Amino acid sequence: MIFVQAALTGVLVGGLYALMAIGMSLAWGMLRVINLAHFGLILFSAYLTYALTTDVGLDPLLTVVVTVPVTFLIGAAIQWGYQRFAVSELSSLLVSFGLLIMGIQLISNVWKADFRRLAADVNPYATGSLTIGPLVFPMPTLIASVAAVTLVVLIHLVLARTYVGRALRAFAEDPPIAAAFGIDHRRLGVLLGGAAGATAAVAGTLFAIGWSLTPSTAFEWFGVVFAVVILGGIGNVLGTLLAGALVGGIAGVMTIAWSSVAAPVVVYSLVVLALLFRPNGLLPRRGGHGGHR
Amino acid sequence: MIWRGLAGIGLAVVGLAVLPWVREALDLPVFLLAFGTLVLTWTALATSWNILSGYSGYFSFGQGGFYGVGLYTTAVLTGRHEWNFLATVPLAGLVAAVLGLLVGIVAFRLRTLSGEVFALLTLAVPFIVAPIARLNPSIDGGQGITVPVPEIPEPLNGFQDLSFLLSLAIAAIAVVVAYVAQRTRLGWGLFAIRDAEGVAEGLGVPTFRSKMVAIAITAGIAGMAGSVGAIQVGYVTVEGTFNLQVPLFVIVMSVLGGRLHWLGPAVGALFIVTLRDRLATSGFEGSSLIVLGAILVVFVVLAPEGLVPRMRRRLVPVLVTVAGVVALLVVTGLRQDPVDWLALGLLAGAVVAFLPGIRRRASGEVEPVGPPVAEGEPAEGEPAEGEPTEGEPTADEPAAAPGVLPAEATEATDATASQRGPTREPIVVATDLTKQFGGVRALHGVSLTVAEGELIGLVGPNGSGKTTLVNLLSGLLRPSSGSISVGGVDIVGLPPHRIAHAAVARTYQIPRPFASMTVRDNVAIAIMFGRSPTDLESARAAAEEHLALVGLAHLADALPGEINLHERQLLEMARALATRPRVLLLDEALAGLNPVEVDNAVGVVRRIHASGVAIVLVEHLLRVVNQLATRIVVLDHGRILAEGDPASVMSDPEVIRAYLGRRAAGRSEPAYEQRGLADA
Repeated sequence: MIFVQAALTGVLVGGLYALMAIGMSLAWGMLRVINLAHFGLILFSAYLTYALTTDVGLDPLLTVVVTVPVTFLIGAAIQWGYQRFAVSELSSLLVSFGLLIMGIQLISNVWKADFRRLAADVNPYATGSLTIGPLVFPMPTLIASVAAVTLVVLIHLVLARTYVGRALRAFAEDPPIAAAFGIDHRRLGVLLGGAAGATAAVAGTLFAIGWSLTPSTAFEWFGVVFAVVILGGIGNVLGTLLAGALVGGIAGVMTIAWSSVAAPVVVYSLVVLALLFRPNGLLPRRGGHGGHR
Repeated sequence: MIWRGLAGIGLAVVGLAVLPWVREALDLPVFLLAFGTLVLTWTALATSWNILSGYSGYFSFGQGGFYGVGLYTTAVLTGRHEWNFLATVPLAGLVAAVLGLLVGIVAFRLRTLSGEVFALLTLAVPFIVAPIARLNPSIDGGQGITVPVPEIPEPLNGFQDLSFLLSLAIAAIAVVVAYVAQRTRLGWGLFAIRDAEGVAEGLGVPTFRSKMVAIAITAGIAGMAGSVGAIQVGYVTVEGTFNLQVPLFVIVMSVLGGRLHWLGPAVGALFIVTLRDRLATSGFEGSSLIVLGAILVVFVVLAPEGLVPRMRRRLVPVLVTVAGVVALLVVTGLRQDPVDWLALGLLAGAVVAFLPGIRRRASGEVEPVGPPVAEGEPAEGEPAEGEPTEGEPTADEPAAAPGVLPAEATEATDATASQRGPTREPIVVATDLTKQFGGVRALHGVSLTVAEGELIGLVGPNGSGKTTLVNLLSGLLRPSSGSISVGGVDIVGLPPHRIAHAAVARTYQIPRPFASMTVRDNVAIAIMFGRSPTDLESARAAAEEHLALVGLAHLADALPGEINLHERQLLEMARALATRPRVLLLDEALAGLNPVEVDNAVGVVRRIHASGVAIVLVEHLLRVVNQLATRIVVLDHGRILAEGDPASVMSDPEVIRAYLGRRAAGRSEPAYEQRGLADA
């Protein structure tokens, strides 16, 4: 039973991983940009939630009203920069690594390197839990996964059904041709960069509600988030969600069965296996979702 | 040439090696040695990182992992098993190199590996190694290890001297390897991989082996640096070792100094260590990572080539500035601290290297691209050719060709001879080739023999499998079934570079030159990695002959980006010829050319054929194929529809139907004439 509990909790946490990964995956698949600064945005909005809750007294979930616009603007600005200077895929990895380092250092200069956690009196979601038979699910994890799944499905629908979504997919498939058919890729790119930033904000806020923060937390996300991006298929929305659940579940079981520090070994072995046998991600690929090179 | 450089490095190393005694004699603070040790350690780490990541373009975040494994090897062996410290240094390098090879075996075998995915996979190295070290009580177990202070050998005066000299030795190894690589096949193979890996493999560069050698060197040197790091740290912990500091620093240093030059990372290391030191002593410790991040962003975006190439362009002014500023500070006594002198001198030097005014003049020296080739008169004024090409026929009058080879005549009269003639030795024999892509069958049961002296025109509608067949013959793809032998040796499953050595060369539909190398070096690479390997100098000399054959000798010093499409296609041919093939596969080598250029290219193909190379020409322009080919093979829907001499193949009703549809097949004219009208 303890394994079932661990696996299910892990799957729920995996929803949050998927939300962290989705912005990065979309930008990589559709804009050909590997934006490590995405981790910085998640971290920044988590701290913003912490500050707004602790110092202003906002309900932690309501802080998205602030964090989402802020990271939307930053994400859009960064993407504008990539386009303005025609940064290549590999260069974007380096540039965003530089941006991430700067961001993390700024954050630790402002909020110090200590652990920060929302105090119980300002965080109404910290202590609740849902009990189903013998299984117990902590409230922060539940909220995070429900919000994450909702958002990811929403993004999928936007990409599949709306004009903007179709234009983006057309652009990901063949930029010059899409441009020739009147798709303004620059504006779309900046919009998508902003949207990716917005998902980072939600992920950061949800993280702050349930977990404690240090600036170096951003590096701890590296492993799982990349595993989710690659397993899910670069640019594949639903695949990312599935991969998040898988990685979360496996990491949860590994933590119980062995040790929490062993989880990355297993997760990364999965990534290598996936690259060997399913290089386009877990789900079969349908046209238009990028990941193609 | 290479020895002069090595002598220079040797001199510099000796000069630095006496520093501990000079310091004592002059009574300078020990701090200076510690500072020097830091610069040298980072020089070793960054320079070794650059051999893999800068030269080959495969960015690695794994340097911290390799460093950490070396560090832990020494920490465990000296701290728990009382090994002699000096004995653990090479061992640490070996352990790290083995780890590097393991990473390489996994990563470089992946078919879909791109540079970006490689970078992310290497990011995993510290994440995987750290838990193993932490969970295993015989390594760390979570408590950390105290590293005993090693014995100080006789002539040295203290721990700092030993640490300095060891770091110097490792940095020297790294710099020498980087320098030698840049002048030998290892480095040039890596450069070719960075520019166009598939092409490099097809030209005979053993790409997998080159990358494995590079990652072993990178990891091994990092491991030795880690070993020395262990005694410098004194007390090692998992958290303090396996973090992103090492990869961040080596990347920033190499990007700042320049990734394409052996000295770049060392210069970058000097800059960054000095900068960090000054920031720390003036109380800006907290902003040092912000400055580093900003340097990374600005240099990658605005000056990706780094400092060293810019400094070299105006070496004298930069050196004079650095020396002048340092001398000024020393003489006037404005600053007391030697690191201050260095910091300000370096800063001034960098500013001079980047001053826009002087740079414009300097970059204006780039040799102007030669006048556009005299495309109208093919091969005019190329005295270097040994072949009897005078009286080059223009393509409009194919029959006027003075018979460079008997098989060249295009009319049916004697072309059949080459098809049936058993006297010609077959070079490539492909039997019953099938290639399946998922559910799509690109080729079924195609058999093709290429014999000496042949010029086979491979034609067929779009999607008929022509390029797939070329890809199978050149080893880029493996057939789903069937066999291919070259000179009697089965080549299915061999890596493309071995097939190149087996005398099959190819060009690509869209020219893929090595963008960072001159036209001459593009050809020289193929010679260096040919069947009989040569060094760079003789390869460059030998390249001239191939450039002359295709008529590019006057552009030998241009970069591929500076020449036009036609010239790039000719470069592709010269490069393929440089592997000394017996069979040359030309994949739509004439696509997108204007009529004058086509005529020139036809002349070049004739000359290549006349030099004794059998050719398989994939081409849409039937007019051209018909002029050149001794035999035509028509593919349609992955099968051979017809083959034989040009005239009979082109009047085959099946062929006409495949090309022009049912209605056209009713008429009597040969297909190529109709096609010719359509082309015009």
